[in-house]
Amino acid sequence: MAIPDPIVEGLASGWKHIDASQLSQDQTLEADVVIVGSGAGGGVAAEILTDAGLTVIIVEGGPLKSSESFNMEERRAYPNLYHQAAAMKTQDKAIGIFQGRAVGGSTTVNWTTSIRTPRPTLDFWAKDKSVKGLSRQDLDPWFDKMEKRLNISKWEYEPNRNNQALKLGCEKLGWDYTVIKRNVKGCWNTGYCGMGCPINAKQSMLVTTIPAALDKGATLVSRAKVIKLEHHNDKISAIEAQALNEQMQPTEFKLIFKAKHYIIAAGAIHTPTILLRSNLADPHQLLGKRTFLHPTLLSGAIFSDSINGHSGAPQSIYSDEFVWKHGTASGDLGYKLEVPPIHPVLIASKTIGYGKTHASLMDQFNQLQVTIALIRDGFHEQSQGGQVQLTDTGFAIDYPLNEAFWRSVRRSFGSMAELQFAAGAKQVLPITEGAPYFNSWKEAKSAMETLDLGPLKTVVVSAHVMGGCPMGENTKLSMVDSQGNSHYYENLSVMDGSVFPTSLGANPQLTIYAMTARNATLLAERLKSSS
Amino acid sequence: MERRTFLTTALVGTAALALGVNLYIPEHIKVNKALDSEHRLLFSILLPVFLDDALPEVGSLRIAAQNRTLDTIIQTISLLPADGQAELEQLLDMLENRLGLLVLTGSMTPLMMRKPDELIVMLEYWRNSFLDMMVIAYQGLRELVLASYYSCPEHWSRLNYAKPTFLEE
Repeated sequence: MAIPDPIVEGLASGWKHIDASQLSQDQTLEADVVIVGSGAGGGVAAEILTDAGLTVIIVEGGPLKSSESFNMEERRAYPNLYHQAAAMKTQDKAIGIFQGRAVGGSTTVNWTTSIRTPRPTLDFWAKDKSVKGLSRQDLDPWFDKMEKRLNISKWEYEPNRNNQALKLGCEKLGWDYTVIKRNVKGCWNTGYCGMGCPINAKQSMLVTTIPAALDKGATLVSRAKVIKLEHHNDKISAIEAQALNEQMQPTEFKLIFKAKHYIIAAGAIHTPTILLRSNLADPHQLLGKRTFLHPTLLSGAIFSDSINGHSGAPQSIYSDEFVWKHGTASGDLGYKLEVPPIHPVLIASKTIGYGKTHASLMDQFNQLQVTIALIRDGFHEQSQGGQVQLTDTGFAIDYPLNEAFWRSVRRSFGSMAELQFAAGAKQVLPITEGAPYFNSWKEAKSAMETLDLGPLKTVVVSAHVMGGCPMGENTKLSMVDSQGNSHYYENLSVMDGSVFPTSLGANPQLTIYAMTARNATLLAERLKSSS
Repeated sequence: MERRTFLTTALVGTAALALGVNLYIPEHIKVNKALDSEHRLLFSILLPVFLDDALPEVGSLRIAAQNRTLDTIIQTISLLPADGQAELEQLLDMLENRLGLLVLTGSMTPLMMRKPDELIVMLEYWRNSFLDMMVIAYQGLRELVLASYYSCPEHWSRLNYAKPTFLEE
């Protein structure tokens, strides 16, 4: 079936795209603004700045892929579209991390969940993190704008059975739940968003802002890994990048980018990494610190009827019953309840055991419902997040998991089991070593207190990396101001999730879209008035 | 000649044959250990343990599934970042030499000479070890084998999982 591919059509129409793997000599390129990264931050900034009449270059480390190469198979999607083939882990191997690595960044592979920044988060940032001008009242017009731009609206179709179980459990227990807004247009409800949308329904940066910017003359450079920013006194003078070949290994060729202004939007792992590697001013040693993950736990449940969790919109219901229940910065860490899509490699690798027991679990693949709890980190004094550090060969993420975290894990396993039994589960299996299948909520409840939890025993994953280059007005707490502009370099801004002073307590894409829309608009006005 | 064809037409583990011991080696795996830079022989010993009950019961299908998984494991390793490849290579090298085996398993007996039950004991020892290094070794191999096996569409029928067909229409 022929599905229009905007990337193929755009390239044929004459877009300026340089695939650095094809370079045969070094290159120097100039523009008004160079943007590093093409995800939620880079994409939105590129469109707004190009619209404002500025010349823009987008530099992306990953490849340019399109629906033509999205074949709905994990074996192709993970190596092509994810950092480290979706096998990235923290330094101690206790947390698996999924981050997109292709044009469009994580928006190309996320599950479309679009949630406005929770008010308590913004209030906390204003009160404790010196962030100014980012109340919900300030941001709502930007949410409105980006929801319209990216076709973000409430999912009006019936949730799939995986999400329906979450809804039913909440209804039975009288817990809060919300129908999710998704960034889709003409969605076929197939459930393969995590492998790249094969019909271009997902309104990721790959099919929205990046093509719009390219249509208006922006230049896209893919497979170019930014090595460092050249700087002198309080100005950035150039960006140096390394061309990568098709296997994503460095070639002998380099690219130099020069601009009036530089935007780093490489995500909360690579933005701090690039800035650290560049030896930029960081008098209070904040770069890479306070990195947050929404560390996420999984609870499996076996139902009598078919769940088919691979089919249908992956996320359409969430519950905030426990996110703020014990306050913002006191009590146990809150957690959000959602469900993930259920595909073979994801489930086979993120469950426990092998041999007969694992095969037995996989035999019930279509009866398996999975609920996830995303821990809201960074608010509590005992939740300081982790750290992105440079290593001889690249970077490492250190994220200690402490007692406060494990208390919330235990509570979240209890909540998930209670919810799944309320929704009609026959058995519930917390995904942690040594946990048995529980046959009732009563049985699970009494066992929860003694469940043996810990790093490398309990499966912990993350798809939301945030922080490491925080925003605010107090330079002891932040690297950039509340509009994303560097405190130390007049022509440098950061526009991605690395500027969050804590995690969000919600999926981050819409927050990045709205904040970037505001900050890029303000920057465009400033750059135009100064030219 | 493709690499796999080359390996499968080479001689069976020569060093072991020279010792005249009765090895536990799946019949379909014929790898010259000296030429086995991809650790094919080692994985051929571990696969039936990790994938017990998941592999097809019919002999020829079972062999095909194991060979397919071996190919995919090699491919999966090649996709890992350099750091990850180096760590895995170190582990696999240790499992292929006696001193490494002694450190990791408390015994110098080559894995190919151990029965499936003994390999399960070894994996359980790692899995429940108080040493992170052992647990990481177990989890690394586990994820590699299971992800490689379930990434192949030909292994999905037992799950009743199939991707939609509209792309082929």
